[in-house]
Amino acid sequence: MSKTILQIKDLHAGVAESQKEIIKGLNLEIKAGEIHAVMGPNGAGKSTLSYVLTGKPDYAVTGGTVSFNGQDLLALAPHERAAAGLFLSMQYPVAIPGVATNNFLKHAVNAQRKYHGLPELDAAEFLKLLRQTAKEFDVSAEMLKREINVGFSGGEKKRLEILQMSLLQPSLAILDEADSGLDIDALKIVANGVKKWHNQDNALLIITHHLDLLNLIEPDFVHIYADGHIVQSGDKNLAVELEQSGYKNFLDAEK
Amino acid sequence: MSLLQTVKLWGENIPWFEGLREKGRIAFEKVGLPTAKTEAWKYSFFKEDDLRNPQIDMTEHHCCEHCEQHSALPFEALKIEYCNGRLHSEELPPLAGLMIKPLVEAIYDKDVQPYLNKSFDLEQFPFAALNTAYLEQGLFILLERGTTLSKPIYICYHHHDNANCLCHIRNVIVLENSADATIIEHFDAEPNAIYTQNIVNEIFIGNNASLRHLTLQNEALAAHHVLLNSVEVKNNGCYRSFCAQKGARCSRQENFIKLLQEGAEAEVNGIYRLVADKQVCDTTTNIRHLAPHTLSNQLVKGVAEKAGRGVFQGQIHIAPNAQQCEGYQLHRALLLDDNAEIDCKPELEIFADDVKCSHGAASGDLDKEQLFYMQTRGIDEQQAIAILITAYIDEVIQKITDDSLKNWIKQNF
Repeated sequence: MSKTILQIKDLHAGVAESQKEIIKGLNLEIKAGEIHAVMGPNGAGKSTLSYVLTGKPDYAVTGGTVSFNGQDLLALAPHERAAAGLFLSMQYPVAIPGVATNNFLKHAVNAQRKYHGLPELDAAEFLKLLRQTAKEFDVSAEMLKREINVGFSGGEKKRLEILQMSLLQPSLAILDEADSGLDIDALKIVANGVKKWHNQDNALLIITHHLDLLNLIEPDFVHIYADGHIVQSGDKNLAVELEQSGYKNFLDAEK
Repeated sequence: MSLLQTVKLWGENIPWFEGLREKGRIAFEKVGLPTAKTEAWKYSFFKEDDLRNPQIDMTEHHCCEHCEQHSALPFEALKIEYCNGRLHSEELPPLAGLMIKPLVEAIYDKDVQPYLNKSFDLEQFPFAALNTAYLEQGLFILLERGTTLSKPIYICYHHHDNANCLCHIRNVIVLENSADATIIEHFDAEPNAIYTQNIVNEIFIGNNASLRHLTLQNEALAAHHVLLNSVEVKNNGCYRSFCAQKGARCSRQENFIKLLQEGAEAEVNGIYRLVADKQVCDTTTNIRHLAPHTLSNQLVKGVAEKAGRGVFQGQIHIAPNAQQCEGYQLHRALLLDDNAEIDCKPELEIFADDVKCSHGAASGDLDKEQLFYMQTRGIDEQQAIAILITAYIDEVIQKITDDSLKNWIKQNF
């Protein structure tokens, strides 16, 4: 039996300031080798889930547990969660003026190596690694010299997110609306990169509200997420059913 | 103890020179140390207590054993050193078209007479008046017409003891027409040294001449540092300065720049860091556009890492006849400590009607989204903050055109 990577039990969480609960008793188990898709209507709190898992300071967990590779995920600082193997491809990657992309990536790779007690890569070693990876994602040397995400198109940003995933080799990658704002070519690059990375030892959680990406990366499990918890789970057919009938039926059925 | 004491100084028998000192004494007695009520000093006035027990350094020069190591530099330069406020280098390297000599020698030879104390009004600058009363230590640098220096002149000021001496240094720098040079000033000290440094640079830039002036102020954290760059720029001459400050308990870098003739240009860029509580770091600039078609640009960025105070006072004055001038100014600061304070006072005095001027000021915190983004990639919070600070000031460092100097600043700031 393959090992459990992520185990969420009865999670309650929300925005720290407003004390409004957004996640209301969520349960989810993800095992190595699996691809899960969480689908839900706009405003259901899908992004909240990704932020709570990665430890964004503005969010507070009010109940439940999250175990990640056997560790208590919620006890770790955001950078420790990343180093422990959790990766988030953000819906809106953040621009950082003044920080060159290649420099940023080197900091990230070496910070994680340092965390694991590995020697840091020197400039030449890192450049070699980066060149190989960049090629796969159609990221040019010129783009790597630019300030990270500053003036990048939607497609460039998402390609760079997946490039980071490939460099950092997480055990669980969360793709939060990875398909938003992408044309079909860019979507294919993202999907191919993800498929290349995915193997029997890691897992993928795709958060989306439509089918485009799921047609390219076939999920093993589909969960319908509404009002802060999972209302129904199934296989890929559930996504197809959803596409035909819309969220309304599932939400009404629950009531 | 008064700041004006009778001390034995060189050259008391030279009437014109002793007359200058006398003018300095009279001016200082009249205006005294600036106080909180002195408009130009209200954010960063030095209390007499701050200067503790100021003594004029009358000792002979004794260098420490590390003296030769003061200036291990990653770039080629003509090196000149001050040690505990006294000119250390006795033999200055000869170079075609360049005259460098100790101030006293230039006074004796009268080379410096046409320039000394000619660029500013004593009563307007109390510390410069005090500096004038004690004129002795200093340099005279003159670049002859059309000379381009192949390597920068590097002046290092090193302090290594805690005698709390009050050092007055005057450098007079003259670029004749079409001369071109880079001058670097590096203030450096043993961490426990205690002293007050009072520097006046008088800088004269001739027609079509160009000076790049780089300053790295890394004084000991108990020291006081007051510096005035009094600059005159003639026809199509250009003064470009870059100043990085992070040392001293209280420091003030003042730039008083007169764009005297058409086409004269000044660029004043700076970065500062407040690395200790109660540290005060003041950048005060007064750029006077006195002729048409003159141009000035200022960009200063500060980072308050501790509960210190950053001060930026930027005056742009455009005289009535100075049409079609451009004067731009921007100050930005990052406040990383809740008790840090930034005082910013832009002043535009515009008497001509066909000019382009702007000023801007902003201060704020680090962007939390950027910090989180880095953390989700495994970079811890402390390193993420360091990366963002570096990125913040890099915009200003990029204005330095020479790569080796750029890297030197990055490594030492």
